[in-house]
Amino acid sequence: MSVFDPGKSSMIDSPSFSTPATRNWPTLAELRRRLTDRWVFALLLVIGCVVLTLLVLAPLYTLLSKSVENKAGEFVGLENFAHYLSSGGIESAFFNSLWVAGLSTVIVVSLAFMAAWALTRTRLPFTGWLRGVLVLPILAPSLLPAISLVYLFGNQGVLKSWLFGAEIYGPIGIIMGSCFWTFPHALMILLTAMDNADGRHYEAATALKASPWRTFWTVTVPGARYGLVSAGFVVFTLVITDFGVPKVIGGQFDVLATDIYKQVIGQQKFEMGAVVSVLLLLPAMLAFIADRYVQRKQSASFTARSVPYRPRQDRMRDAIGALMLTPTIVFIFAIIGMAVYASFVTFWPYNLQLSLNNYQFGRMDGGGWGAYINSLKMALGTMLIGTGLVFFNAWLMERTPQPKLLTGVFQFLSLLPLAVPGLVLGLSYIFFFNHPDNPVNGIYGTLFILILCTITHFYAVSHLTAVTALKQLDQEFEAVGESLNASRWRVLFTVTLPLCLPAILDVALYLFVNAMTTVSAVVFLYGHDSQLASVAVLNMDEAGDIAPAAAMAILITATCAVAKLIQGVLRFWVDRSTRAWRQGME
Amino acid sequence: MSQKTQGSRLEIQGVNKFFGDFCALKDINLTIEPGELVCFLGPSGCGKTTLLRIIAGLERQSGGLLHQGETDISLKPPRERDFGIVFQSYALFPNMTVTDNIAYGLRSIGMPKAQVRSRVDELLALVGLEDQASKYPAQLSGGQQQRVALARALAPSPGLLLLDEPLSALDAKVRHHLRSEIRSLQKQLGVTTVMVTHDQEEALAMADRVVVMNNGVIEQVGTPLDIYQQPASAFVASFIGAMNFIDSSPLNGQRVKIGNRELDLIRPLPAADGCIQLAIRPEDVHLLPSGDGEWEGEVLALDYLGAFIRTHIRLSDIELDLVVDVDPRSARRLDLRVGGCICLNLPSDALHCFAA
Repeated sequence: MSVFDPGKSSMIDSPSFSTPATRNWPTLAELRRRLTDRWVFALLLVIGCVVLTLLVLAPLYTLLSKSVENKAGEFVGLENFAHYLSSGGIESAFFNSLWVAGLSTVIVVSLAFMAAWALTRTRLPFTGWLRGVLVLPILAPSLLPAISLVYLFGNQGVLKSWLFGAEIYGPIGIIMGSCFWTFPHALMILLTAMDNADGRHYEAATALKASPWRTFWTVTVPGARYGLVSAGFVVFTLVITDFGVPKVIGGQFDVLATDIYKQVIGQQKFEMGAVVSVLLLLPAMLAFIADRYVQRKQSASFTARSVPYRPRQDRMRDAIGALMLTPTIVFIFAIIGMAVYASFVTFWPYNLQLSLNNYQFGRMDGGGWGAYINSLKMALGTMLIGTGLVFFNAWLMERTPQPKLLTGVFQFLSLLPLAVPGLVLGLSYIFFFNHPDNPVNGIYGTLFILILCTITHFYAVSHLTAVTALKQLDQEFEAVGESLNASRWRVLFTVTLPLCLPAILDVALYLFVNAMTTVSAVVFLYGHDSQLASVAVLNMDEAGDIAPAAAMAILITATCAVAKLIQGVLRFWVDRSTRAWRQGME
Repeated sequence: MSQKTQGSRLEIQGVNKFFGDFCALKDINLTIEPGELVCFLGPSGCGKTTLLRIIAGLERQSGGLLHQGETDISLKPPRERDFGIVFQSYALFPNMTVTDNIAYGLRSIGMPKAQVRSRVDELLALVGLEDQASKYPAQLSGGQQQRVALARALAPSPGLLLLDEPLSALDAKVRHHLRSEIRSLQKQLGVTTVMVTHDQEEALAMADRVVVMNNGVIEQVGTPLDIYQQPASAFVASFIGAMNFIDSSPLNGQRVKIGNRELDLIRPLPAADGCIQLAIRPEDVHLLPSGDGEWEGEVLALDYLGAFIRTHIRLSDIELDLVVDVDPRSARRLDLRVGGCICLNLPSDALHCFAA
């Protein structure tokens, strides 16, 4: 850190332009200069660390300590865990969660790999549109596929006979629903891994007379292996921590996520909720650590000297690609289409006349249109505060001089939310923020705590996006700025921010969509005046108002689609107005 | 603002730099005179870039003092030092036009608009880019980008210009051209300049003085001619240009022994006991027709390098391989052939000697 004495050297700073000041007060120029001192940046990042500690670490700690306390708050060691074990919860919920998540992972990763292969290794037309359709599920709350599945395969479902007597309420439904909403996550990871293939590898394989089949196994698959592993971990974590799908369609089939909900909301057994949370935290943490370990081994195989791969014309291959995409696309359209249709049907299955009855939320419980407005406010708040916070912190970490230790701590705190399931985060927020000794417990039950919790929940991915964008900028921008008498702040506003605009828009959309659709983190935290649309879906479904629930889910999806559209327009506009200086930069 | 700036004097006293246990710079002492162009030359990892970054204040030295003119800048942050810098990557702001890039430093000191415009025009003319003013960096060639970076660094009329491998990203032809252009610009402006490079040819061609560095210490400071003709150490001798090294043992006085022959040297012997190393440049060896010289050798290989022929010769009685540069005409006269015999002399005035 700086050892230099700030009082000594103010005469050097832009001599003629500082305003005269009174004796005891630092001049404007000096104030400005002080703001650029190393310790100021370090201090700001320390503040960032403290904020994240309060938002992640402290609540988690309270949760962990709750799991080893009894109702009266006395330390009881592992008694709660023993109690949960003896109640048989471990056999049912824990192992149910594991195998359902495992099976879903295998299915989703296979489907996503096939789709990514078809999109990147064939010459199918309309790949832009196909990509758009395949990532549609990301705009919907995870409750939507579950509701749709009820209409399709439920007791009064149109396709009930297709299940040959099996029940959709249970593992089958959970797996189908989970596959729907986690598919885009896996697809995007695999597309990133497979989009930049080195054409030279394929030419080498051809020159060495490898068959297409052998080329596939020796070039394509190895090239995507880190993507496959990463997608696997991500999907597994998403499924095992998801609460929406099993809640709606799980029936009597217990999984950890629904168990927490039951313990806390149903039986008010907070300490047992904490116990199950810890059990849920374990596999999520393991997946997170394993993924980080694998990522570290990954090195860029696509270098500046690589030649992008262009698939050759091959009708046979295109046909195989189309065949691989069709079931997934049909499934996605069926799920969304069914939900849309059901939301307009007057009274399923007796009166199939289309009407807007189900959209009159004022008539049902669950918060009505007020919940939707709250959701909008919450999502906008999350987007604005979250994007600002994420970018500022990432900038501090990447583009200002920081002690190594501090950036290490900050990186850990930023990525930690990735390992914490939403339900666990929500529950730990109850323990932490609703504690009578917490000076800010006034925010409990307000929209503000929902915003904080949602920002935290989705912090890690936003942080990674921001850091990636900032890393791509020339490392010497700030140094050049300093030599030209411009502070890091000026470089931030005149260079860094304009260059990062596309990434900022991406983060903003990511936060908005997730804030609109999330259920798990907020289901414990909403208050009477802060009901949310996604939670309303859940509550209406629970109350048997399944058609209005579908309507609300569709409304959320439509809102996200509009947001995506606006973001698309903005990006188009940014790209166009910056085309001149982007030439040759990509 | 006048075109001609007064370059400042830079004095480096006892500068050290440690990265953990690793000593990147050891007791660096150097004075750079106003208006001088000094090159830091050395292999990668020798500490030359670290020293440049310390001068800029981008890196803090572990010990030692820096003075620019009369001012002690040892502890000043970069913003309070008076320098312009050009990086290897240029680090041009891609979202700004050439004009805005050059004006950046002028605007940050709050210069009035009209003055900024005239100063930018002045610099555009100086680097010959008047017609590219409203283009973005990505629309320019590498050489043009380099000129913009130079103009941007020079715009606030700094007393010191720092160039960090400014030419290494360019292809050979542009590099040669820009080399002389930067040099004449620097002379014209009189700005004190420090340039870091690993390219000896670049350093010899451009610098008033060259600072040869290795393993964090300065091996030699001198004019290009000094460095080439009077290398102060075996490292400098081998790093700059080509050099033959011959092991030998000192006898009494100026006499040394190579194999079983004795030789009188003109240059003083280094104070070393045991072995010393004699060194001679490939162009300083005299080749003579077979039977005429002191040493007998066999031609092992001939590399045709255009203006001269690099000849690899084995001296049979001391089992030593020498490299000798011969012009094509002499080569014809001597009838140089692979496998042929040749005689040679080692002129004592061309022999350098170093402690082994």
